Order: sequence, then C-alpha cells, then structure tokens
Amino acid sequence: MKQHLCHYGGYLKCDNPNCEHRYALSEVLHLCSDVLEKIAQGDCSQKIDLKFERYAVQRLIINKVSQEVSAMIDLTHELAIGICEHFDVLKRLHEGDFSATASEDSSVEIVRMLGQLINKQKETFLEYINTINKHKEEIRHLCEQQNEILSSVGVAILVSDEDMTVEFVNHEFEITTGYTKEEVIGKMKWIEFIPEGLVQKMIEYHRLRRISPSFAPRQYETKFKKKNGEIRDILLTVGLIPYTKKSIASIIDITERKRINEQIIHSQKMESLGLLSGRVAHEYNNILTGIVGFAGLLYSKLEDEHLKSFADKIINAGERAKNLSRALLDFSRKEKIEKISELNINKYLNKFSDFIRSLIGKDIQLNLILPDKEIFYKIDPTHLDVILMNLVTNARDAMPEGGELTIGLKESYLDSVYTYTHPIVKQGYYVVICVTDTGTGMDEETKKRIFEPFFTTKPEGKGTGLGLSTVFGLLKQYEGHIHAYSELGKGTTFKIYLPLKEKKEKVALDKNRLKGSETILVVDDDDQARSYISLFLKEFGYKAIEAKDGIKALELYENHKEEIALSMIDLVIPGLPGAEIARKIRKIKPDAKILIMSGHPVNLKDMVSVEKGLIPEEILLKIRNMIDGIE
Amino acid sequence: MVERSLDFSGLRCPLPVLKLSSLYPQFKQGEIIDVVGDCPTFEKDIKAWCAKLGKTILNIEKSGNKIKVTIRI
Repeated sequence: MKQHLCHYGGYLKCDNPNCEHRYALSEVLHLCSDVLEKIAQGDCSQKIDLKFERYAVQRLIINKVSQEVSAMIDLTHELAIGICEHFDVLKRLHEGDFSATASEDSSVEIVRMLGQLINKQKETFLEYINTINKHKEEIRHLCEQQNEILSSVGVAILVSDEDMTVEFVNHEFEITTGYTKEEVIGKMKWIEFIPEGLVQKMIEYHRLRRISPSFAPRQYETKFKKKNGEIRDILLTVGLIPYTKKSIASIIDITERKRINEQIIHSQKMESLGLLSGRVAHEYNNILTGIVGFAGLLYSKLEDEHLKSFADKIINAGERAKNLSRALLDFSRKEKIEKISELNINKYLNKFSDFIRSLIGKDIQLNLILPDKEIFYKIDPTHLDVILMNLVTNARDAMPEGGELTIGLKESYLDSVYTYTHPIVKQGYYVVICVTDTGTGMDEETKKRIFEPFFTTKPEGKGTGLGLSTVFGLLKQYEGHIHAYSELGKGTTFKIYLPLKEKKEKVALDKNRLKGSETILVVDDDDQARSYISLFLKEFGYKAIEAKDGIKALELYENHKEEIALSMIDLVIPGLPGAEIARKIRKIKPDAKILIMSGHPVNLKDMVSVEKGLIPEEILLKIRNMIDGIE
Repeated sequence: MVERSLDFSGLRCPLPVLKLSSLYPQFKQGEIIDVVGDCPTFEKDIKAWCAKLGKTILNIEKSGNKIKVTIRI
C-alpha cells in the first residue's frame, strides 16, 4: 500500500483511497444516513469502520446510536416474547391446563415479576379449586349417603314440582311401582299413578296444601296404580319441602298388611262366634236333654194316640234342635274327635266321587285329580264326609245349569313366606283337597262372611247357613284351615288344608318292584344286624356276601368286583371306618355303587346313605333305585 | 399441509410475534401455519417465539426481503 501523503491535513479528491480527507462532507453525511436508516429499521449490525480518524466524532455518534437502538430493540423483543409466553400460559390456565407454568427467568424485571405473579395466582387458584373439589367431594358423599338412606328406608319416596311433574324417586319407588327412574323423572306427573276415581280429590289436596297447608291431610290411605296396571292400597304421607313449592311424598304399600289384618280380624270374629255358639249350644243341649227326655217319658205314659202324637212332635222338634246344637258345637270345635283312623285319601276320594255322582246330577261333570303317590291321613271319616259333602253340595247349588266340579288332592308344603302372609297358618306339610266349581261365584262381601254360622245366600228354607261354618269348625279341630277363592260368574275353589303331623312317607310298595338277583356286599361288625340285612336281601332274590370288617370287605371286593352290584357299609365299624372302606372300594372300582348305613341321618359327599331304622322295603327300594341308576 | 397463512409484512418487530400470540388461541393443536414478514429481525423473533412456546419450525424460506416460516402449532 502507498504511504499516506496527506500528512498535513489532506485534501479533496485525494488519490489515496485510505485518505480520510478525500471525501466531501456531503459524501460523509450520505454514508452516515444510509447506516442510520438501516439502524432505524432495526438492523443494528450496521457500523462505520473505525479505522478513519478524521470523522471520529460522527463515527462514534452513529455507532453509539446503533448500540443504544440495538439494546432498546433487544429489550422490546424480550418484553414481547415474555408477554407472548405469559399470554400462552394464561390461555392454557384459562382452558384448565394447570400444568402450565410461566417462566421466571427473564432478564426484564417486569416480565420476570409477571411470570412470578401468574404462578402465584395459579397456586392460589389451585388451592381454591382443591378446596372447591374437597367440598364437592363432601357434598357428593353426603348426597350419596342421603340417596343411600332414601333407598334403604324401605319406603317409596317421590318429590314433585308444583305442576305435579316428578323430580325425584328413590330405589324403593322403583321396586314398589315397577317404574324405573328414567321412565318417571321429568316425564310423568304423579296423578298418572292414581286410579281415576281418586285423582280429583288428590288434586284438591295438592292445591289446598299450597294455599292452606294445615287443612290438607298429611297422611291418608289411598290407592296406587302400578306400571302393570295393578291397583295397590297405599299409606301416603305428603308434605311440602320448606321454602319451595315442591311436595315430598312417602308411599307405603299396605295391601298385604290390610289383607293380613282382615284375616286376623276374620279369624278373631270366627273365634268369638265359636265361643258364643259353643256356649249357647252347650246350654241349649242341657235344656233339650230335659225337653226330649221328659217328652219321651210323656210319650211312654200317654195312651191317647192324639196326645201321643203331640209328644212325638215335641221329641222330633227336640231332635232337630239337638242336631242344630251339634252343628253349632262342630263349628265351635267343642266336640271330641273320637273315631280317628288312618285313611288312604286317594281311595277315599275315589269312593266318595262314585257316591256323589248321583247327587250332583247329569248336568255337572265330575273330575277327580289324584296324585300317583297315595296320601294317608288320620281323620274321622265321618268328619271328612261332612266337610266334603258340604263343599260339594254348595258347588252343585252354585251350578244350577250345569258345569264342572273338580276334586283334587295333593300334598303341599306351606313355607315361611306363605305363613307370613297368612298369619293364622302354621308352617309345614299339609294334605290339600280342592273342590272347584264353574258356578256363579261370590262377591267379596259374601266371601268375607261365608264361614259365619247362619249366613246363607240360599233361599229361605233351602239352607241352614251352618254348612260352611261346620266345615270351618271341623277343620279347626284338626288344626287345619280352609281357603276360598272365587270370581263372580266364573266359579269358586275351596281348598282345605289338613296338617301332616309327622312327615313320614308311607308308600304302598309293589313287592315285585323291590326284587333283584344281583350280588350285594354287606359290611357290618354287628353279627345280628349283618345277618338280618343278608336275610331280607336273600328273601327278595339278591345274593349277599358278608364282611365283618374293612379288611375282609376290601379283600372280598377285590375278588368279586365284577360280580358285586352294590356295597352296603355300616358307617361306624371298629378299625377301618365305613367311609374309609367306601373310599378304598372306589379306588378299586371308581364307579362302585355304595350305600352307607347309619343309625341317624348323615350327609356324606358323593355317597348315598340310608337310616338303619327304616323298614326293609324302604331300604330295598333305595337299593333297587341305585342299581337301576335312578338314585 | 398448511392450513393457515398469516402475512405480517410491513409490521415492525416485535409486532409480528405479538400479533401471532393474539391469534394463537384460534389455532388448533398440531395445525401447520405459514407466517410471512419482512422485518429484519422477523426470523429471529419467530424462532424465539417458537422456542419459548414449544412450537416446531418446519421450514424457513427467504424471498427478497420477505421471510416465510412454516410452524407446527
């Protein structure tokens, strides 16, 4: 490079390109303005070369400007990006994203503080939200508890608005009415559950409750229409929810309770009538004894035939009165049961039906439905005659234009559910005889009174009104009961229930059915018992192999396993117990048939057992059934 | 696939990023947008904005004094 010549101050248009004096001022200003313009646009990278010295002041000013503007722009950008970031955090928080956190590391204090403030605000919000959530959880828990209480209270509850629209029902409501919450809430009005005839009255109560609550009944009995159309008796308690116009109603289905109460009242009434009529009949009988006795005496002493006929009339009237008092005593259950005998009810009913065919006439078809199993019952046959004759006569009279009369017999167990709904009935096995007609039937009022003495629907002179009361009294003597079911125009069914004192099946067995030719292993340590079992087995054609203990039994079984059809093993044997012998036999032959004998009823897994006390026929039946694969 | 295009030409920095932030609530997550600007610090600002807010720059294209940045929101 050429040495700088302008050693004394330079000049314009100097040839030396490095000479700072070669530019005019205007040119310098022009150069400066270009740089300034770019700086103003934000491009602070523009600088003026500092190797020139002459315009140092200008150069320094421009560079200083560039530096300052650059710093300001950086600050503005830092501010802007900080705002953008915090804006984004606020937006996310607004949307519920509480994982958003503002950065607190900005070099700009206000941005940094804003970040801190946002984060603190977020923490405060989160605390609020946590508290709210906690309260919400508590409220939810309380609501659940309330719902649980409302559901388990055992009473159907309904809340309705002033316009009668259902707003709430509990689970019990669903059970009681058959409607689901979804079907009811917001969709139905409570009047839709009320039978037509009662709607108007209940709407009046509804209005009255809002105008003058003390005049509207709080609790009353009414009726409710279930989803299936069934009408139930209910006890309704209604009140207004405080500070609202909403009603809350509790509904208790009292249909069963009413029915049970009616049964109890009826039973008490019959009891009182029984007591009264029994007492009257007893006193009456004493008087009649005198009347009939002395009339007889008079009859024997009188010689005048005309007068004798008067005495005879007194005797006849006295006898009729005695019959009447006997019927009253039957009803009052004062008569002693004397001629009890065990009857085969199947056979009895067969004979009885033959006897009544002529009585009921040709227009009535008689059906007899008897079970295959024969049923035995200890009863005075004349009592059964009286009971059935009364029922059959009533049935016949109810079918003046003919129809069907059905007599059925079965054995039935009345369980705790039945006795709960029929409190005067005891739980247990019963012989049930049904007498059904297709006659005129009875209305509810008649049905309630049919067992009362002297109550009759028959024309005067046709019925004494003592038939069904006698039936009722006789059944009571056997601790039985009678149930009537009737529909007007369709017919009536009377069911009589006679309790079986001891449920021991008495089966009329076909002896041929018990016979067999198979081989049976008898294991019993008692010599007498073993030989007795073998004896009756042999009598019925079986071959018996005897073993005194488990070891002998297993040895015999091993040698005759193909031959032995069944093993009878005593449960209690010294040494190897019966159950163990049975298990070892099953190891030899897994499908071996084993009958465990014991002195008392036992329940052994995978084993059939029999009580030693049973009669041989019953044991033989069990053996036969097991060999044939029935049991 | 660009779903939205924003032109901030003529706006001085930091106005483009402030504008972008104010429009940001309208964007869907994952949406791809183009932002165009001509301010000398535009590219730098957009890069800083994306870094702070966790957005991805897919492409930067320069044409004359205009810069187009493609961003995945």
